[in-house]
Amino acid sequence: MDTQTRQLPAEPPVTTAPAVELQAVTRVYGARTAEVRALDDVDIAFRAGSWTAVMGPSGSGKSTLLHCAAGLERVSAGRVRIAGQDITDASDAELTRLRRTVVGFVFQSFNLIGSLSAEQNVAMPLRLAGRRPKRREVREVLASVGLADRAGHRPAELSGGQQQRVAIARAMVTRPAVLFADEPTGALDTRTARTVLSMLRAMVDTSGQTIVMVTHDPAAAAAADRVVFLGDGRLVDSLERPTTREVADRLARWEE
Amino acid sequence: MLRMSWSTFRDRWPVFLGAIVSVCLGVALVQSSLLTLVSAATAKVPPGLSAVEERAIRDGYVGAISLLGMTLGLAFFVAIFVVSSTFAFTVAQRRRDLALLRLTGAGRRQVRTLLVGEALLLGVIGSALGMLVGLPVMRVQTAMLTSFEFAPSGFTAQWRDWIIAVSAGTGIGVAVLGVLAASRRAARVRPLEALRDLGAAARVMTASRWVFGLFFLAGSVALLILVSAVGGEAALPLSINATFTLVTAFALLAPLVVPLVAAPFGLVFRGKLGLLAQANLRTGVRRSASTAAPIMVLVAFVVGMAGTTGTLTEASRQEITRELRGDLVLTTDGPVGDRVAAAPGVTAVSEEAPVSFDVGTDAGEDGMEWESVDGLAISPASYAETHRAAVTSGNLADLSGATVAVTPSAGRWRVGDLMPVHLAGGPEQLRVVALLPETLSGPAVLLSPDLMPDGPRQYVVRATDAAAATPGLAALGQVMTTAAWVDEYNDRQQRTNTNVMVALMGMAMLYTLIAMVNAVVIAASDRRAEFAAARVTGLTRGQVVGTALAESVAVVAIGVLLGVLAAVGTIIGMASAVRDMVGLNVTSLPWSMFGAVVAIALVVVAVSSVLTTLSATRTPPIRLVAARE
Repeated sequence: MDTQTRQLPAEPPVTTAPAVELQAVTRVYGARTAEVRALDDVDIAFRAGSWTAVMGPSGSGKSTLLHCAAGLERVSAGRVRIAGQDITDASDAELTRLRRTVVGFVFQSFNLIGSLSAEQNVAMPLRLAGRRPKRREVREVLASVGLADRAGHRPAELSGGQQQRVAIARAMVTRPAVLFADEPTGALDTRTARTVLSMLRAMVDTSGQTIVMVTHDPAAAAAADRVVFLGDGRLVDSLERPTTREVADRLARWEE
Repeated sequence: MLRMSWSTFRDRWPVFLGAIVSVCLGVALVQSSLLTLVSAATAKVPPGLSAVEERAIRDGYVGAISLLGMTLGLAFFVAIFVVSSTFAFTVAQRRRDLALLRLTGAGRRQVRTLLVGEALLLGVIGSALGMLVGLPVMRVQTAMLTSFEFAPSGFTAQWRDWIIAVSAGTGIGVAVLGVLAASRRAARVRPLEALRDLGAAARVMTASRWVFGLFFLAGSVALLILVSAVGGEAALPLSINATFTLVTAFALLAPLVVPLVAAPFGLVFRGKLGLLAQANLRTGVRRSASTAAPIMVLVAFVVGMAGTTGTLTEASRQEITRELRGDLVLTTDGPVGDRVAAAPGVTAVSEEAPVSFDVGTDAGEDGMEWESVDGLAISPASYAETHRAAVTSGNLADLSGATVAVTPSAGRWRVGDLMPVHLAGGPEQLRVVALLPETLSGPAVLLSPDLMPDGPRQYVVRATDAAAATPGLAALGQVMTTAAWVDEYNDRQQRTNTNVMVALMGMAMLYTLIAMVNAVVIAASDRRAEFAAARVTGLTRGQVVGTALAESVAVVAIGVLLGVLAAVGTIIGMASAVRDMVGLNVTSLPWSMFGAVVAIALVVVAVSSVLTTLSATRTPPIRLVAARE
């Protein structure tokens, strides 16, 4: 068992240094003959304490951008930095440590472990980090997503929105420097999606959480501080403090 | 981590139940074979028997021990094979779960710890059950041995307390070993795979599969060459070993064969269902290969064993036909040589009496080592008239007084050597006067007529008119034409072969059948969502079941193809051993056995596949499509 516990970042970094930074990142898939450039020389920084939405048509490279930024995928060229740490050539062990303490993930399919209760799911990252989680600690996180009374339920006994909130609680329990979200509202109905989005908003506003979110939903993107648009693996546009209409208009323009 | 193991265990019970069953039966089989072997090895000959009876019982135990030794080896092999392939499969089935753990921050070591923890848990449960199941299995095995007369009647196998340690060690050890290799691979699962749909990223033909597959294939070729070089009695166990390594090689290389079979299969089963089944086979290479594995083991061993023993028997028959120059064979309870010679129409007669004795070889510091040999006492002159009677050196005519003629299987003797013997009522040494060519059908040793005991014997007779001579001889004993006698010998031999096969492999092969059901159930456990998606797309429940059935037929075809390849390799090895020994070109392919095995495998796989698919499609599809977790 890996017992090494890293010091958790006690507070969100106060400097203006970006929480995540990609420099000239290129990601190529496939062999020479069928080469696909999912990311093509992308430079982007995500400011600490901000919420950025990444948008673009299918195949524009937005998921690849997220995976590369989170250290889930290796880049073909360029450098990636998370919370000041260069992870471009990090070993698997280093990346594992990163996942335990520095980054959190939320996905469209909630990716909970079906055999474990909500509480156990949330406690899992702490357990994996070799810590014996305190019951109160886990309950508090669950309460913060409004599921204090569902701790003992298994994922199959929860609604989609509740499952996603458990997933968010699981991602937040380690107090990650960055939360990566891939279509977090993609599988939810409009009302549930709104609840989840306002919960993310509150996390940014009150505790200065950094969020990087991929979405194709203009309403979800409008909840963020900034929207960046990708097309054919390149950054093509961005919007500060966007509204749903603005986002939809830009999207329509870039998808033409 | 153990708690984590326990909760996955609770959730994925059909998969783990399959794993437990495989461990349980494997342990039962090994335990039973080992206890029976040890009991036979330590069995005491009851006091107060005549020398002949005592010797018969002793020889019976020696035969039982060698048979049980092979049974134990086979049990071990099949248990390790089935358990490790089951465990590897269960790990492969959970790739996505494991990737998810990696995503939440599990290190590689933690994934391995989790999997090994599970294996321990399953190993403990399986072993405990296996020890209990082993008891009735042992009774069945003992009953089989005595009723086929491979062990003296009254033989019983006894429980030993130390077997608990052995069985627990076997079950837990095999389970953990089976998962170790798989867990190393599983630990390399990339977290990103949790986000993709299953399969695409999981390469089946890994480097280690290639390396070990080719290594075992090369080893098998070497063994088969050895089989033909060694020849004789040693060739049979060696050829079984070759089947072990061939089966291992093919199991490792099986994923390569799946697409090869899937392609022609698509041509045969045209139409949308055939297309779907073919596509499923290709995408589920790992699943197809895992289900095919026990089928391959079954076919390889049954067809391989039936083929090698069949080849030996047929070669023996041809050899006897080649050696015998007689018209009639008379079997009697005692010496009637003069009356046979005097019977009307008889022109030549060879009196032959079986003699069992021990031959001693100098084992250095341990003193003499004695080995039981079956010989035939004959008169050289009349023997030469009724047999081909070839010698490689020396002269058979010198066979008188305390002398023998030997084949190479009786040991490395030269003409003029003095052979130490334990021969009831006979001399302590026999002089070797001739060397005989290698033989399959026996006898290994010819003894001089002066050593001929009283008691049962046979007369090989040449007659001017066989039909006319028969009535006169029939009064003396049982008389048959040479052809009928050879046929009877052949039938007896084949019955023995069948019995040996049942005693040796019956239990292990039943085990492979259960392993097939197991593999089908484990494979289906993961496909509920897939089936549901197919139904939402517009397939009826019947069509989904039909597709699964078509797939299972193709999987049986893959298993049979690989099994036959392994069996043919073994049979060819044996055939070339026979050619080197006795110069006969014989291969006997056991078609009926092959047909039976294929039919059984097909029925077992098809029925379990239909039942599991029916059960997996019982829930309305929309519920399963909606809930991915």
